[in-house]
Amino acid sequence: MNILASYNWLKEYVITSLSAEEFARELSLRSMSVETIERWNDRFESMVVGVVKAAEKHPKADRLLVATVDCGDQEVSIVCGGTNLAAGMKVLVALPGSRVRWHGQSEWTTLEKTVIRGVESYGMICAPAEVGFDKIIIGDHDIWDLGEITDAVAGTPIVKVLDLDDVVFDVEITTNRPDAKGIVGLAREAGVAVDADFVWEPVSLPKGTSDLPLSVRIEDTERCHRQMAVVLKNVTIGTSPWWMQKRLLLSGIRPINAVVDITNYVMLEYAQPLHAFDYQAVEGSELVIRAGAKGEQIVALDGKTYDLNGHLVIADAKKPLDIAGIMGGEHTGISRETTTLVFVASSFAAAAIRRTARALNIASEAQLLFEKGLSVEMPPVALARAVALTLEICGGVVASEVFDERTKPYEPKVFPLRTDRVRDRIGVEIPDKKMIDILERLGFGVAKNGKEYTVTVPYWREDDIEGEIDFTEEVARMYGYHNMPAVLPASRLPEGSDDATLQWEAWTKRFLSHQGFTEFFSNSLVSTSDLECYAVSPKDAMAVFNPLSTDHTHLRPTLVPSVLRSVERNQALTASADIFELARVYMPREGNIPDERLALVVGSYGVEDAGTTFMRLRGVLELFAAKTGIAFLFDRLPEDSHWHAGRSATITLDGVPVGTLGQVANDFQVAFGIHRPVFLAMLDLESMLPAMRHTNRYVPVPAFPMVTRDIAILLDERTEYSKVQSIVCGSSSLVIDCGVIEIYRGEGIPSGKKSVTISVTMMAADRTLTTEEVDEVMATVAREIALRVDGVVRS
Amino acid sequence: MPDVFSQLQTEALKTFTSIQTLADLEAARVEYLGRKGRLAEAMKDLASLSDEEKRAVGKSANEVKRTLEGGFAAAEARVMAAEQVERDEREWLDVTLPGKVPNIGHLHLTTQAIEEISGIFSHLGFVRARHPEVDWDYYAFESLNMPKDHPARDEWETFFMADGEKVMTGEKGKVVLTPHTSNGQVREMERGKLPIRMISIGKCYRRQSTARHLVMFHQFDGLMVDKKVSITDLKGVFDHFVKQYFGADRATRLRPFHFRFTEPSFEIDISCAICEGTGKVSGAKCKLCKEGWLELGGAGMVHPNVLRAGGLDPDEYTGFAFGWGVERTMMMRSGINIDDIRVLYKNDLRFLKQF
Repeated sequence: MNILASYNWLKEYVITSLSAEEFARELSLRSMSVETIERWNDRFESMVVGVVKAAEKHPKADRLLVATVDCGDQEVSIVCGGTNLAAGMKVLVALPGSRVRWHGQSEWTTLEKTVIRGVESYGMICAPAEVGFDKIIIGDHDIWDLGEITDAVAGTPIVKVLDLDDVVFDVEITTNRPDAKGIVGLAREAGVAVDADFVWEPVSLPKGTSDLPLSVRIEDTERCHRQMAVVLKNVTIGTSPWWMQKRLLLSGIRPINAVVDITNYVMLEYAQPLHAFDYQAVEGSELVIRAGAKGEQIVALDGKTYDLNGHLVIADAKKPLDIAGIMGGEHTGISRETTTLVFVASSFAAAAIRRTARALNIASEAQLLFEKGLSVEMPPVALARAVALTLEICGGVVASEVFDERTKPYEPKVFPLRTDRVRDRIGVEIPDKKMIDILERLGFGVAKNGKEYTVTVPYWREDDIEGEIDFTEEVARMYGYHNMPAVLPASRLPEGSDDATLQWEAWTKRFLSHQGFTEFFSNSLVSTSDLECYAVSPKDAMAVFNPLSTDHTHLRPTLVPSVLRSVERNQALTASADIFELARVYMPREGNIPDERLALVVGSYGVEDAGTTFMRLRGVLELFAAKTGIAFLFDRLPEDSHWHAGRSATITLDGVPVGTLGQVANDFQVAFGIHRPVFLAMLDLESMLPAMRHTNRYVPVPAFPMVTRDIAILLDERTEYSKVQSIVCGSSSLVIDCGVIEIYRGEGIPSGKKSVTISVTMMAADRTLTTEEVDEVMATVAREIALRVDGVVRS
Repeated sequence: MPDVFSQLQTEALKTFTSIQTLADLEAARVEYLGRKGRLAEAMKDLASLSDEEKRAVGKSANEVKRTLEGGFAAAEARVMAAEQVERDEREWLDVTLPGKVPNIGHLHLTTQAIEEISGIFSHLGFVRARHPEVDWDYYAFESLNMPKDHPARDEWETFFMADGEKVMTGEKGKVVLTPHTSNGQVREMERGKLPIRMISIGKCYRRQSTARHLVMFHQFDGLMVDKKVSITDLKGVFDHFVKQYFGADRATRLRPFHFRFTEPSFEIDISCAICEGTGKVSGAKCKLCKEGWLELGGAGMVHPNVLRAGGLDPDEYTGFAFGWGVERTMMMRSGINIDDIRVLYKNDLRFLKQF
């Protein structure tokens, strides 16, 4: 949460002469982070108060006036469209060279002397939005009448008239420190951060009277911890003074009327929301803090109707007046006609406010504060300030007792402090004296108790300080993290190394990318429809209880649907590709968190023919196996509707199935809208990991040369190579390997047949093979093939 | 000099000078200088002479031999040079043709970042650990000092898993999609192996989807626990990481912040590369950073309650922890400027093949 904090306002409570930049830097380093610095003082250069001497119709434009304006040392002529422009008016004149925003909307531009429809115009008479005050509301096409704000003479610089020699910091307040979201709280922080005096004294609550009746009762004691109220009568509610309006404006809040402005002003100053009701609207003269009843509704200040069932409300005898801690009702608020009003200041349970705001989808400044947890001791301080400001600005008198109902007593928290522990955790020898000084200046009470200290937590920190450890932070940050040295830890190193599965994950990704495969990286959350496209029952996947969209409803138990969806999206843009995805899949387990398993999909979609693609993917898997010290067996896949019946193999490792390699079954390809065959290898990497190891075994280089001979055999189309291979390799002890050189179909080959060229590698460990020996082996090979698979050797 | 040598010399030198091709060169060598060539033959004839004649003729015969060898070498050099010119002329390539780029695969940007980040922490003895990405509420929140009513535990911010119509629950609470990788902290402590220098990188999920925030993203969570670990150690580790990953010219600062599971807590900022830490680009406000600084991520000293949850005595052990977004850290390094982070996980090959 952020606060726009005026430097001048802060300097009312912290006495410093630092430049805005220096102040912001120190505050960021030790307390709250200043995100931007807005220099208001720079905005009003070449802008002065002008007094309109005459306003005449523009000779060539119906809607424009030509004003003669006294700007002090000069009288200028300005063309102006302001409908309220009249002689005698005090206006804001932006002279050439100043920067304005046309109609408050466009970018900032620098004014120049110009001619508008033949009439010279020396600058511009501005509306508030044109100089950056978007939140000041005036009539459409009106210009800003400064008469209400100032009696300064013509020519006085605007920055002086509006008292805007100021800088505004946009400060991020951490969620644990709502107290610092007020100017006073932030000034207290700043006082320690920049080493300056913090000067602030709370005002006292007024004396109550028994003039007008009111009763206050907390019914929901769980959610409301304190409720204060006081009635003021004979108040005159006009426009608040400019100094107050200005501070609201710099803080991004729209001035409305004096009382509403006062509640906002006090909230900005103390970070304690307040609300004011019109006393006449409070029926039965009673305020009850209770749960909203079934069917109860309220029209809030934002004009919307909210269902209050179960939500905390401030109500009178008959109706809810306020969604507690969030927003008041439209019909019970303050208007300029109000003469008697009730100020209320409360303390609520933070979580209750947050839940109501989320459930009703409503937000407000007050709610943002309350849901962070505010001190129960803050309401009287804020209420006193609001009453004092009202009496000063609106007149009137206190007309009731000052009600103060609370549901639990307040006891300041006290914790021990071991300064040695603080030093150990920080790693710097900070003396006790320095620590105590920091804590005391932040408002903590420090007492020495023998060797130890005890620290009393100030009320505005009661929510965020939970124990001794929190004092370490107070000391450390105010000492300054930037003042601490950076030291590389020299202590013992842990035993063991990176998690083995993560090492293999990284290795496998690198391996595949080196083979030309590009990595897909998809969301683990998939849609029900993608699961169904791949015939995965949503019951076999873990479902998200509160999904954000229908695209992300289940945790994937397989990578395939994500990969196919990605192929579908890519096919029109990238015609073919080799891809892979390696990620965890999440297998549901009864009553347990899922079994997270590393899964791998390697695939290819696009142009090549089926045989080549299949062999290429298989080759990659074989190389992978060789590099990781395992051996895959590929067997024809038993029927599985996910895979093409004729073009798929099951992969086993040490007799256990670990995956499938093949073409995605046509039905599923169609279901995903993919136009051409997709080949995938799907592996349960997790189950393979225990067997995998990096192989760097030494095998002596053969002492005698190998001989390789090729042989072309005519075979039946359906004769599988694995059979041929086992015949060849088993035909002689001299055969050490065989491989496929070419498979040929076409001219010269009868239909139903194929010509397979095989290379046969032979070697003996103790001699160089003679031509005769080689010829003999090849003759045996030919004979065996003819005999066992009916193959014919082609010459 | 006997006529036979003088004649041989005249004839040979004449032949050598007229040689044009490599084939002629070889033929001439065989004819005159070969083992059975004419010079060798003539030398052989010297054997029949008397010793005195041998001395007289032998001397001039050797002179002829040297002259012939010299003449041949000159011819050879001449022919080879001509041959070289001709070969260069014949063997011509269009060197302006484009290169044929090898077909390589591409690792995803996130994978590359994870590798690089874990590599840097590995220098400092941090070991990569694997922890669940779907975990119990206990590890994701409860044990991290986050009270029951903490906003992060609301259904508004965190995904929960379903059991039929209800939120799935079990022995350690609800089952959540981890909103951060910090669930590994207490799990790592529970392993009971000290000291700890751990880096855990995994998928995280939050209920938000914008140009700057993804539903699924990655975090790397670091944890160091030992006796006497202090803030100054943490500063040392960050300094090292930032200088390695972002470059030696980038500055860091620690800025107070608030997290439930660390105390003290802070955010790490690094100086902006665009405006070089000044907050201004040619006079105007830098659009990327906040007054010259970019938030890298959160960190802090492990909260004593978290150490206790991990079975450690906070009076004996201390530690620091940090958790940063991988994607964010990767984007912040100058060079890669992705305006809509959602493109990362759309798997558009035209995007993936850029890296």
